[in-house]
Amino acid sequence: MSTAGFDELIHAPTRLEIVSLLAAAQWADFKYIRDELGLSDSALSKQLSTLESAGYVEIRRRFVGKRPRTSASLSQAGRQAFEQHVAALQRIIARSQQDGDSRLAAEPDHRVHGR
Amino acid sequence: MSDTQQPQPTGAADAAAELAEIQRRQQQVIRSTLVPVWYWWVMAAAIVAIGAARDSHVTVVLAITIPLAVLVMVVLTGAMIPEVRRRVQVHSATQPGARGAAAIFGLIVLVNAVIIATAASLDASHIPHPMTIGYAAGAALLVTAGPLVMGYCRRLMFSRAQQQVNDAPEAGGAG
Repeated sequence: MSTAGFDELIHAPTRLEIVSLLAAAQWADFKYIRDELGLSDSALSKQLSTLESAGYVEIRRRFVGKRPRTSASLSQAGRQAFEQHVAALQRIIARSQQDGDSRLAAEPDHRVHGR
Repeated sequence: MSDTQQPQPTGAADAAAELAEIQRRQQQVIRSTLVPVWYWWVMAAAIVAIGAARDSHVTVVLAITIPLAVLVMVVLTGAMIPEVRRRVQVHSATQPGARGAAAIFGLIVLVNAVIIATAASLDASHIPHPMTIGYAAGAALLVTAGPLVMGYCRRLMFSRAQQQVNDAPEAGGAG
């Protein structure tokens, strides 16, 4: 099934979790994302790099005192892609419901006609 | 990369599961930005301490307990907010806004009203320890209503996050 707006990059389970988390946030700390999703540093870095390369995520690196602090946020393009992906999922569900309704309407009522 | 090779959902069940996962993660962000239940208990304990100190009428007790209790409340409240903000900030479209702020302000006004009304009426009736009882009544209200107000803010934020998801077809355009 091909669906316009369906984003293969976001659809991948780990990235879907990351993007969903970031969609509800203005920004999120690297450690927060890691802990909330139960990922390792390297796994999260890898996924964030992929999303950053696609232009979906913006990574901010700054220092708080002497400690480096990394945070991530969804870019405009990332938010748009996420919304389109959600819309595509909703269309899949709506289409399935329509198909189900059409089938029900087309089916003869065997209980009535059979008697 | 294997993660990019995920097939598209084959049916409505897969799509629904994916949407449920999205909602679950959004709720996770919202929950982590609200103050925990123990916060209200610490605040209530500080309030009761102030009431008890006022009933003692001992200058030293008043001079130590009241500033200490106020300090605990201010430091705890001040520490909670930067702690939350340092980790994650909820998207502006999801924040509870004026209704959330009104609920929190209403709680503060109500707690103070209960403290003043209870303590004043008990004092007028010459009942012993009016301040302790009055402040305890306010504290009891705080530990009861505080989590309820947080629950209200959470529901408000959930519905706004949900609205964002539901508005996605308009943003995404027709397929």
